[in-house]
Amino acid sequence: MTRILSLYVEEDTLVHKIDPINKILYIIVAVAVPVILPYGPTGLVFIFISAVILLASKVFKKVIPLIEFSFLILFSIVVIQGLFHPGNRVVAFNIGRFKFYREGLLYAFTLSIRVINILVAFSVLVLTTKPSDLIEALVRKGLSPRFGYVLSSTLQIIPQMISTVGSIMDAQRSRGLETEGNLAVRIRAFFPLIGPVVMNSLIETRERAMALEVRAFNSKEKKTFLNERKDIRSDRVILLGLLFILVLAIIFRVFL
Amino acid sequence: MERIHNFELNEKFINIYWYEILQKFNSKAGGDIMNKRRLWSFSFTTATLVLIPAAVGINYIGKLFAGVLKLPLWIDSIGTALASMLSGPIVGAISGAINNIIYGLTMDPISFVYALTSVAIGIAVGIMAYNGMINTLWKSIIAGVVVAIVAAIVSTPLNVIFWGGQTGNVWGDALYAYLIAHTVPIWIASFFDEIVVDFPDKIATMIVAFLIFKGLPKKLIQIYQGGEKIEKLD
Repeated sequence: MTRILSLYVEEDTLVHKIDPINKILYIIVAVAVPVILPYGPTGLVFIFISAVILLASKVFKKVIPLIEFSFLILFSIVVIQGLFHPGNRVVAFNIGRFKFYREGLLYAFTLSIRVINILVAFSVLVLTTKPSDLIEALVRKGLSPRFGYVLSSTLQIIPQMISTVGSIMDAQRSRGLETEGNLAVRIRAFFPLIGPVVMNSLIETRERAMALEVRAFNSKEKKTFLNERKDIRSDRVILLGLLFILVLAIIFRVFL
Repeated sequence: MERIHNFELNEKFINIYWYEILQKFNSKAGGDIMNKRRLWSFSFTTATLVLIPAAVGINYIGKLFAGVLKLPLWIDSIGTALASMLSGPIVGAISGAINNIIYGLTMDPISFVYALTSVAIGIAVGIMAYNGMINTLWKSIIAGVVVAIVAAIVSTPLNVIFWGGQTGNVWGDALYAYLIAHTVPIWIASFFDEIVVDFPDKIATMIVAFLIFKGLPKKLIQIYQGGEKIEKLD
């Protein structure tokens, strides 16, 4: 069967059962509060909280590849800003000829905290929520079902297209397409490869549109849901708790 | 006999009337007429909604093939460009936004914020396509230059906020490091970092999109031209 494009990890923890909307709210709070209260430590606090949540939902290991991905860029930022950041005054340390300045390093570290904070906060949502549940939650809250469809079908289309890549490359190669060599050769190879895929997928849209029309896609009737939504008690608590933290942060900033 | 005050029926007749007139004034575009009243339309037909996932898929596949062939470019906006050419700036912008939202949720959360760049690309291509800038190869290349500049302008603030001005691309960042080492302000250095990568990338994207667009069957293009209410899709 076709996979859906997602990072969802199937586990049976409390975090998995929480309303996806609350998780979205968590992301907003985790990103906004360190901006409202601009202290580096706030970001670290939220990173810690997110890490705890991830551990509690047994998906912590899956975050590591995501962070590794950004590590390379962050490392290069630390190096480049440490060396060249405008406003560098105080030398932090030397490596050989190269002087690393405190201002640049501090700037780079603040950036890194921000990036990692966003990453882990998003991971809380992404690793513990089935995409279909997320989209359903949004549609319940008022997103047009037609756009819910657009999101769902995107998640299905991409794995489909990925699976055709191998066979298209083989097919074109067997017809004599050169895919290795100098840059000019490779550039020329690009067109016969994406050409058929793109044409096909666009032409398919016509049939897909027909299929949807036949199934009353544009009907203005109120839609019903296949799944029953089980509200768990903690949903309310979490929602109010998150809003409380957000308001608290704003008050803190405005009055102190 | 009852008068039918059906707005949609009237609209359909008016649109067909305009359609005929525009056809007479249409230049060498090769059949791709955009109904003048519909450039900024927010009404989506089923066909345009179905175009959006296809556009995101095409974006992804472009990136995939560029990776497989080890091309030094991203080429991840072909779908957005095609969606704009077929269906206008709004649909192109939405395709771009959903593209980044999906990437953000399934691969790399930071892609989320760069949805702004994709939206800008969609709008830029849509406006230019509507003004006939994709009729010939040379015009498409110029369109690519414009798109590159737009994309760089929108991306630079994002780059500065999140990455201190860098882009993650080796050549661009090397240039960035060189520039700020020579006391060029961060914003300018970042802009050059971005544009050095965006120029070849977006020009190539527009060339590819142009070639594909020209190869599409007319029947397909007509479906996406706004105006008439679509009664039959065959």
